[in-house]
Amino acid sequence: MRYSVKEWTKSGSPWVWLNAGAVAISVIMVVGLLGLIAVRGLAHFWPADVMQATYTQGEQSRRILGELVQQEMVPAEQLRGAGVKVPEGVEAMRRDLLKVGNRDFGSADFVWAMDHLVTEKSYPEMIMAAERLEWGNFYGYLREIRESGETVARHEGYAKSDEYLAIWAEFQQRLDRVLEIRDQILEIEKHKIGSINYELERLRLKERSLELKQSTDAQAYADIEARRAELNADYEVLQQDLIDLYTQINRDSFVAEIADGREVEISIAKVVRAFLPNNMGTGGKLVHYGAKLWEFLSDEPREANTEGGIFPAIFGTVMMVILMSVLVTPFGVIAAVYLREYATQGFITRLIRIAVNNLAGVPSIVYGVFGLGFFVYFLGGSIDDLFFPEAKPSPTFGTGGLMWASITLALLTVPVVIVATEEGLARIPRSVREGSLALGATKFETLMKVVLPMASPAMMTGVILAIARAAGEVAPLMLVGVVKLAPSLPLDGNYPFLHLDQKFMHLGFHIYDVGFQSPNVEAARPLVYATAFLLVVVIALLNFSAIAIRNHLREKYKALEM
Amino acid sequence: MTSEAKTHAIDIASMQRGESNLNLADEQITLQVKDLRLSYGDKEALHGINMDIPKNRVTAFIGPSGCGKSTLLRCFNRMNDLVDSCNITGQLLLDGDNIYDRTVNVADLRRRVGMVFQKPNPFPKSIYENVAYGLRIQGINKKRVIDETVEWALRSAALWDEVKDRLHESALGMSGGQQQRLVIARTVAVKPEVLLLDEPASALDPISTLKIEELIHELKDDFTIVIVTHNMQQAARVSDYTAFMYMGDLIEFGATDALFTKPEKKQTEDYITGRYG
Repeated sequence: MRYSVKEWTKSGSPWVWLNAGAVAISVIMVVGLLGLIAVRGLAHFWPADVMQATYTQGEQSRRILGELVQQEMVPAEQLRGAGVKVPEGVEAMRRDLLKVGNRDFGSADFVWAMDHLVTEKSYPEMIMAAERLEWGNFYGYLREIRESGETVARHEGYAKSDEYLAIWAEFQQRLDRVLEIRDQILEIEKHKIGSINYELERLRLKERSLELKQSTDAQAYADIEARRAELNADYEVLQQDLIDLYTQINRDSFVAEIADGREVEISIAKVVRAFLPNNMGTGGKLVHYGAKLWEFLSDEPREANTEGGIFPAIFGTVMMVILMSVLVTPFGVIAAVYLREYATQGFITRLIRIAVNNLAGVPSIVYGVFGLGFFVYFLGGSIDDLFFPEAKPSPTFGTGGLMWASITLALLTVPVVIVATEEGLARIPRSVREGSLALGATKFETLMKVVLPMASPAMMTGVILAIARAAGEVAPLMLVGVVKLAPSLPLDGNYPFLHLDQKFMHLGFHIYDVGFQSPNVEAARPLVYATAFLLVVVIALLNFSAIAIRNHLREKYKALEM
Repeated sequence: MTSEAKTHAIDIASMQRGESNLNLADEQITLQVKDLRLSYGDKEALHGINMDIPKNRVTAFIGPSGCGKSTLLRCFNRMNDLVDSCNITGQLLLDGDNIYDRTVNVADLRRRVGMVFQKPNPFPKSIYENVAYGLRIQGINKKRVIDETVEWALRSAALWDEVKDRLHESALGMSGGQQQRLVIARTVAVKPEVLLLDEPASALDPISTLKIEELIHELKDDFTIVIVTHNMQQAARVSDYTAFMYMGDLIEFGATDALFTKPEKKQTEDYITGRYG
C-alpha cells in the first residue's frame, strides 16, 4: 500500500511519531543522567589498583606510586604550547591523571603525566594504601612498626613474602586497637563531654536570666553553682580519661617507604583504614566497597568535606523535608477548604486564587530573602528579645536555623498544596455530599467525615509535589540556615531533643560546597557525583513513600471513579 | 396510533394492589404544602403548589422531565438551600410547623425527613459504618445501640441476609441494587418520619427495581413515603396517591386508582396514555 504525504499527515501518524520520539529522547536523557551520576559516584568507593611506574621528565626519572584516575587525549598544539616535545605528525597524545596521595610529603596529591613518559608500569602486591584523618591518602611500602619509639618489627624488600604478610598482620592488629580507642575517645568527646557542655551552657543561661531579673534568690544561685561544680568534677574525670586514651592511641607508629625512596614515620592514630589494594581478591574488594559505601552513608565528613561520609547532610535534608511537610499540609488544606467550601465565590476569591497560583512561580531565592528578613531577623529577633534575653547578644532564633528553613520552604510550597487540595475537593461528587447532608449532618460534619477523607489522595498529591520541590531547593536555604559543616545533628539525646534553632547540613548545599568551594577539586569531584546521586535517591524515596500513602488512600476511597 | 397508545396505558386492575377506595379526605396529613413558589434566579420553577401528603401512605409524583417534581421533593427537606440562587416563598408544614421558619434547625429537619437519591451514593466506608453514619452524627456512640439499629435498618431494607457476613467490607463493592437498598437502610436507620425517594430505581436493573418496589410496600407501615418517578407503571404499582405535575404546576392529585382509571384532566389522561407531545 502506498500513501501520499497528505494522507499520511491527515492520518495523524506524524504527530504520533513526533510524540513518541520526544518521549523516547526524554527517557533516554533521564536514564543517561542518572546512569552517569550513579556510575561516576558509586565507582569512587571501589578500591582501585595502585600502580608503580617510572616517570621520566627530561633527564630525570623518578618512581611514582598512585591510582590511575582518568585518561584523556590532549591536542598536540596545546602540548607544544605548554613546552612538551611532541613528534611531528602526532595530533593528540594521551595524558594520565594519577592520584599519588602523600600530600604531606610531596606537593600535590594528584599528578598529570604524559602517558608515553610513564614506563615500567607494574602493580606490586605489597603496596599499601591508607586513608588518614588528615593529609589524604597514603601510598607506600610498609617497613617498620614502632611502639613508643621502639622498633618491634622490620621488613625489607618489595616482593610478597610470609615475613611481609606477618608484619602487615601485626600492623592491622595495632590498627584495630587504635580504632577501638578512637571510638572510645569519640564517645567521650561527642556524647559525654558534649552533654556536659550542653548542660553547662543551660546553667549559664539560667544564671544569666536570674541576673537579668535581678533575682535575689540566693538558693537558686547556690543550686546552680552546686550543679556546675558537680558537672565540672565530672568533666575533670572525663578529661583525665581522655588524656589516658590519647596517650594510648599515640603509642604506635609505622614507618613506610614512599615513592621517592624516603622512609617516613606516621602515627597509626592518624590512620582510618589501611589495605593492600593489589593483593585483594574480588571478594575482599567487595567487602571494602561495602564498608566505604556504609561510611559514606553513615559517617561524618572529614577534611573539608572531601573525605568521610555525609550522614549529617542526609539527616538534615530528610528532617527539613519532614518538618516542611508537617507545616505545609495543615495550612494548605485549611486554606483550600476555606477557598472552595466556605468563601463566597466572587471577585475577591478569584483574586486570591490567582495570587496563590502566581505565588508558585516566584523565584525561590526571593523566598529566601523574605525568610531571612521576616522570619529570621524580624520574628526570630523578637522571639529572642521576648524569650531568650539571657542568651544575648548571641542569637537563638534570630539566626538561620532548621525551623526557619522549614517554614520558608513551607511558604514556598503552600500554593502547590492549596491548588491540589482544591482540585480534589472539586472532584468529590455532589451526590455524596448530599447523601451526608440528607442524613442530618451539618456542612462541617460532612466536610470532616466524608469530603476530607475522600479528598485525602489529592492532598497527598499536593504534598508529594511539595516534597519534590522542597527537597531539591538550595538557594533559599543558603540564606536561612544551611551551613557547610554543622557541629551536631538537630536531633540528639539532649533535652529538648529536637533543636529547631540549630543550623543544619543539606545534600543540595553539600554538592555546591564540595564541588565548587573545595580546596581539593580532584579529590572532591567523585563525591559530587556520589552526593548528587544520593540526593536523587533521597528525594525519590521521600516521594515513593508519599506516593505509597496516596495509593493506599486512593484504594480506600475509590468512589471518585463513579 | 391507537394501538401504540394502548401499550402505554396502565392496566390498573391487573395489578395486585392491596387497598383501594382511598380517599384523601379521610387521611391523616403529615406534610402540607401551601402556595409554594420556587425560583432559580429570575426563572420560576414552581408556580404555587398546594397539596397534602397523607401519613403512612406512598405518594408518587409523576410528570415529564423538567416539570418540577424533583424540585418539589427537594423542598421537603430543604435540599434546595444548597443552591445559591434558589428563592422560596409560601409555606411547607411538617406536622403543622413551617419548615421554612427561621428558627428551624435544618440538620434536625433532615433527620426527620430522610432522602434517597437517584444514583446510589454510599460513602466510601464499610457497610456497617454507612448505616451507622447518621447515628454517629447524632452523637450515639454505644456500640450495642448502634449494632442493634444497624441490624434493624438492614433488615428493614431487606439487605441483612445478603450482607450480614461482610458488614465490615467496603460498601463500594456491592452491586448497584444493593447499594441503593443500603442507602435506604442508612436513611431508615435515623428513623425519620418522612422518606423522600427521588427516582430511586432509575439507575437499576429490573430485578433490583422489583426489590426496591417491594421494599417501599414494606416501609410504608412505618414511614410516610414520597416517591418521584418517571415510570408510570412504577407509580401505579407502588403508590396509594399520585400527583401529576406539568411545567411547575400541580395538575392533578388524587388516589392512584382513580387517577389512572378516571383522570379528571385532559392533560393527565394524555400523559398516562402516552399521548403526550
